Amino acid sequence: DPEKYKFRTMRQNLSDAADVLDMQIEIIAEIVQNHYKLSASEFGDPTIQAQSEIHAVGRIVPESPSDESVNTESLALETSRMAGIGRRVRLNLTDVNEVSLFLGQIVAVKGKNADGDSFKATEFLPLPYPESPVSTADEIQTHQKALNGDPLKVTVITGPFTSNDSFDFSHLTNFVERLNTEIKPHALIMFGPLIDVTHPMIAAGTLPHFPHLKSQPQTLDDLFLKVMAPILKNIRSNIQVILIPSTRDALSKHAAYPQDSLDRKALQLPKNFKCFANPATFQLNEVFFGCSNVDTFKDIKEMPKGGNTSMRDRFDRVSEHILQQRRYYPVFPGGITKKLLPNTEGGNKVYEHISGADLDVPYLGLTEFVGNFTPDIILIPSEMNHFAKVEQNVIMINPGRFVKPWGHQGTYADISISAPDLDNGKLTKIEGPEPVYLHNVWKRARVDIANI
Amino acid sequence: GSGINGLQPLESTIPDTERFKDAANLKLNCPNCSATFDFGGIVASNYYSMSYNGLQCKKCEHLFAPLQINSQLERSIRSHISLYYAGWLQCDDPTCGNVTRQISVFGKRCLNDGCTGVMRYRYSDKKLYNQLLYFDSLFNCEKNKNCELKPLYHTGDRDFPQEKLNESSIKALTEQNRNLFESNRSVVQKYLSDCARRYVDMGSIFDFMQQR
Ligand SMILES: [Zn+2]
Ligand SMILES: [Zn+2]
Repeated sequence: DPEKYKFRTMRQNLSDAADVLDMQIEIIAEIVQNHYKLSASEFGDPTIQAQSEIHAVGRIVPESPSDESVNTESLALETSRMAGIGRRVRLNLTDVNEVSLFLGQIVAVKGKNADGDSFKATEFLPLPYPESPVSTADEIQTHQKALNGDPLKVTVITGPFTSNDSFDFSHLTNFVERLNTEIKPHALIMFGPLIDVTHPMIAAGTLPHFPHLKSQPQTLDDLFLKVMAPILKNIRSNIQVILIPSTRDALSKHAAYPQDSLDRKALQLPKNFKCFANPATFQLNEVFFGCSNVDTFKDIKEMPKGGNTSMRDRFDRVSEHILQQRRYYPVFPGGITKKLLPNTEGGNKVYEHISGADLDVPYLGLTEFVGNFTPDIILIPSEMNHFAKVEQNVIMINPGRFVKPWGHQGTYADISISAPDLDNGKLTKIEGPEPVYLHNVWKRARVDIANI
Repeated sequence: GSGINGLQPLESTIPDTERFKDAANLKLNCPNCSATFDFGGIVASNYYSMSYNGLQCKKCEHLFAPLQINSQLERSIRSHISLYYAGWLQCDDPTCGNVTRQISVFGKRCLNDGCTGVMRYRYSDKKLYNQLLYFDSLFNCEKNKNCELKPLYHTGDRDFPQEKLNESSIKALTEQNRNLFESNRSVVQKYLSDCARRYVDMGSIFDFMQQR
């Protein structure tokens, strides 16, 4: 519901934030209890000494609250208000061979607190993956007809759209031309930042004069209207464009995640543009897209333990965490970017705050998977290497940034999904009073990460 | 509303000097010579002057284009908002001094063993709101003309300006830069319009009226 993102920002209430953090533990506790068919008596308070082994659900936190750099030796488990009056207990992982943990993760763990000081874990219970969405036969046939049997083509691009040392949009101009004449997708999903407020030339005020303009832009909003919007308006009107903002977007006054959508009319963009919130879950035909524009892949500082866990690809593990946590950005506290300043204060290092995940904690409920199922395709742009992979039957994509910091060509994602067909055996039928079909998009899609 | 005891003076009646005493200065960088200085409105400064054609760097005489001010102003506002959302908390017990971004599921509870202090956001929403109002004041023509701005320097400061500005030239310069200031101010107003604290303040005034 887009209306829910229209809250005003800059007023976080600590009690509201705590309510949400408590609720996150309770929600997962209930899912675990149902999935593993555990009785309430098999759960206990891990923060108090007990003779027997218990199950506990809690959040992974640092053992010392002021510690920002943790490892598997210095972690604690935070209980909910109900399970352990919010107390935290040191986690002893000596007996656990394989596990991957990060700060903010909600875990289900079996073990014993024998000495009152620490909870000795024996086993982490994997959180169940949420279900996939389904469609009825009627819906499938409607979507098949709409496509005339052709595949659904979706292109994905991610800002910044200029290099760090210019406001030259020629890469974008050229790409729009290719989009119209060569790529010709049904839809273009475009992630911000459109105008990146952390661009070094914005901080330094060294914005150039734009010689082709009669009147120079006065503000960053004006810079978009006069320089970038005219390029975007050239996208052919039969291509549906979906804009998803970033908290680094100068164009958004809502500088927190979850983030309200941009204002299409204020940006003077035509009707084939749709502005969605960040994160957003939406359907193109039968296919569910989940889009989130905070860098989860960079910010999950994952701590793997055990040879088998460490050997796996990090993006695989992080993708599984996102699916298991049922939230696009399960890290807490959120990531921050700061810059070390040359001057010191009494020998202490001094940092300048640059940007961050900017979590509006009381509203984090809006960043959970909608309806408790996984989208068919999850798009989470990241500064890390671009990739496209299938995890637990979900396609996870990082398209990579459009222009590299020093002006080299970046990448985009090109998704092609064959039209759904009830007869070709690629959809899985689920029997019931009205049979429904799994979309199996991962079996029907081809994803290429290509140079722009 | 918390009744008559909760009544506070209307915040707008507090002079800006007092109200903005904790607000950070607006730092500007000269795009031409990279000199950095604090901008404090149409006031005397060793580093910049307001000319009839806009803001000018005293070191290299570069005249700032409006976008060169507005981009830095907007970036500065966004850094403050992002620092606010970093969510640093501080324990109010001075013997504890716990500073962390961890939040207990009991919110105000300090996570240091045995501490009974109360955790608060180090960058409060009131402080952020005041910071935005401070930036707004710098480009407010009335406040500039009436010399109501928070002074950048105090007597004895190393950077205390050598030359003074007289009131009549401030008035004339304000009028000459009215268009520029209106565009500067629109950048601040964009964020003030989304600032929930502003609206909550209004709400509590109405609560009080309903009680009567
Ligand atoms: Zn200069
Ligand atoms: Zn304390």
